[in-house]
Amino acid sequence: MTATLTAPAVAPPSSARSRRRRRTLSPILLAFVLVPLLVESFWVFWPALQGIYLSFTSWDGVSPAALVGLGNYAELFGDPTFGRAFLDTVLWLVLFGGFSALGGLAMAMLFLKERRGVGFYRAALFTPVVFSLVATALIWQAIYQPDGLVNTVLGALGLDSWQHSWLADANTALYAVIVPALWRQIGYIMVLYLAGLKGIDPTLYEAATVDGASKWQQFTKITLPQLSSVNSVVLSVIIIDSLRSFDVVWALTRGGPYHSSELLSTYMYSTAFQSLRLGYASALAVVIFVLAFGVILTYLVRAFRDADA
Amino acid sequence: MTSTGSSVSSGSATGPVTVQSNLSAPSAKAAMQALIDGFNKKGASQSTLNTVASETFRTQLPTYLTSSNPPDVMTWYAGSVARSYADKGLLLDVSDAWNGVSGYSDALKQLSTDNGKQIFIPTSYYFWGLFYRKSNFAKWGVQAPTTWAEFLQVCETIKSKGVTPIGLGADNSTPWVASGWFDYLNIRINGANYHRELLAGKHSFADPQVHKVFDQWKTALPHFDPKGTALSFQDATTNLLQGRTGMMLIGTFLLDTTPKEDVDDIDFFRFPVIDPAVPLAEEAPTDGFFASAHTARKPQTLEFLKYLTTVEAQEAYLKSSSGSSLPANSAAKDAGTALITKGKQMLQKAPDLTQFFNRDSSDALQPTADNALIKFIQHPEQIDSILTDWQTAAKKIWTS
Repeated sequence: MTATLTAPAVAPPSSARSRRRRRTLSPILLAFVLVPLLVESFWVFWPALQGIYLSFTSWDGVSPAALVGLGNYAELFGDPTFGRAFLDTVLWLVLFGGFSALGGLAMAMLFLKERRGVGFYRAALFTPVVFSLVATALIWQAIYQPDGLVNTVLGALGLDSWQHSWLADANTALYAVIVPALWRQIGYIMVLYLAGLKGIDPTLYEAATVDGASKWQQFTKITLPQLSSVNSVVLSVIIIDSLRSFDVVWALTRGGPYHSSELLSTYMYSTAFQSLRLGYASALAVVIFVLAFGVILTYLVRAFRDADA
Repeated sequence: MTSTGSSVSSGSATGPVTVQSNLSAPSAKAAMQALIDGFNKKGASQSTLNTVASETFRTQLPTYLTSSNPPDVMTWYAGSVARSYADKGLLLDVSDAWNGVSGYSDALKQLSTDNGKQIFIPTSYYFWGLFYRKSNFAKWGVQAPTTWAEFLQVCETIKSKGVTPIGLGADNSTPWVASGWFDYLNIRINGANYHRELLAGKHSFADPQVHKVFDQWKTALPHFDPKGTALSFQDATTNLLQGRTGMMLIGTFLLDTTPKEDVDDIDFFRFPVIDPAVPLAEEAPTDGFFASAHTARKPQTLEFLKYLTTVEAQEAYLKSSSGSSLPANSAAKDAGTALITKGKQMLQKAPDLTQFFNRDSSDALQPTADNALIKFIQHPEQIDSILTDWQTAAKKIWTS
């Protein structure tokens, strides 16, 4: 909002300056553009292109890579573990994404009003974001142990039949891993929503109250529409975080037992560095890249369209 | 095929021999440093130690070996895991270091040989067995069994005392310990040769012989700790020491994490005999060193490797380590405890030795075994599909 107010005031001098700049393209400016581009090309684009090339080969990391055409991609279709990992990733996206968005928004609404001690709760909820995910995983590993906190509490409540080897059971492993990931992500999403909620003009609510709108009506008619720009940020953050979720899964289950908590990212890692099938792993990486890129691209297109409108 | 390093090494490069080690546990790291110091004190050539976390080392090893400026000497394991690199021409021919070495058995030399050349220097080895607490066995009134029937009987007795007979620590962090059971059952039922051929891809995991292994395993499975696939090997060790489980199939590295006051109470028995007609081969994983074919300091590297074979070097190493392994040079003194002596005799009498699942095959095949074995322990009724899935997964590794 402040941007639209100030923009006209600054616009004329900036356009004048850019005209001058076009005449004498300063070498410093060129360096500022070209050097990062060079670094980026060398460290990001070139390895990425190499990864795409490797996905058409069979390579063990030692012998020369042999071209196999689309063989790796053909194998993906018949690979039950890939299917499992793909579905698990979709499940992860839905559960992890859905719950962290809902949980983050709920927490933000809860902690929006300045009350005594609310800063403490906000900080407490944000703390897991600061922890490294591997440290988080260590804490949760202890919680999930056969004699860990979860089973002890269930036992104390007389729910012995619910006790479980949470991480070792193929039916529960994936869900058991989602919980620590959520524990961390909710705090992060909460902060994003808090920032969004603070930006809503309070006079809107005052007007609505005068008009006799209920709390629910205020939420659906004012809060949600006003949050639309934050929502698109949250959506892209969630999708990208879901696709690159790796550390917490690897630290807790390594995709096991027997691939039951395998995500595309963990399957790619184990294929590359345990099975030493770097060509096939590159094909998996390309699939992840296409998925992530597709999401980001649709987001960018939407964002630009919004900006134009 | 093996370039023997002569193409690259002019032997003119100076500087110390670089030793890349994956022994990152504090006691093992100190022992390695003692070894390096001993070599440097001799004065001829110098060496330096670089210790890397073992998981990093494992994933980076192909990079070390194919690098044009590699570490000269690396820690590694004997068996297929070393030979596969030799077949690709990445390992230095260390036959010169073997020349005139005394105190090494023919079996160890054979284990270090690929295509008629020595490519590996073994320095220590250890054994596997069913470990238990002597005091607990006495309390329960059971004796170490020798046959499978006696073994099951012991399990029954321990169970009747309200204790879980067989401990296991095969959670997601150490799933490979379950392979000890597969290895031993296969060796006892189908023999060591079949076992090695199976791991090399010459047989199928879906063969009836492999089914027999799992049929046998099923008879003992009810005695396994039902939480065995949810515990790490360290937690399972604690359970054994505290008497919550009766015994555990594991290697002597169990002693590394056992408190000093409990060590004397630990004993082991040989994996029970199943078919008396099958020779009693044992697992004896052998650790040691190999050198890069691209080393620029060939003479110094060979000098260092030769030093590693000496009694002096191996005793220096063992003195600083926890003493749970046996020196490869038979003239070097081991820890000398009753348990270590008993294990040494067991291996000396064994007509054949195997290494371990990953060492007799490859690190790439190990995860396929982990998936199959953990699934079998949790769902033994699905064994048919488990074995066909295992074969499919293994085939991808063998053919890639």
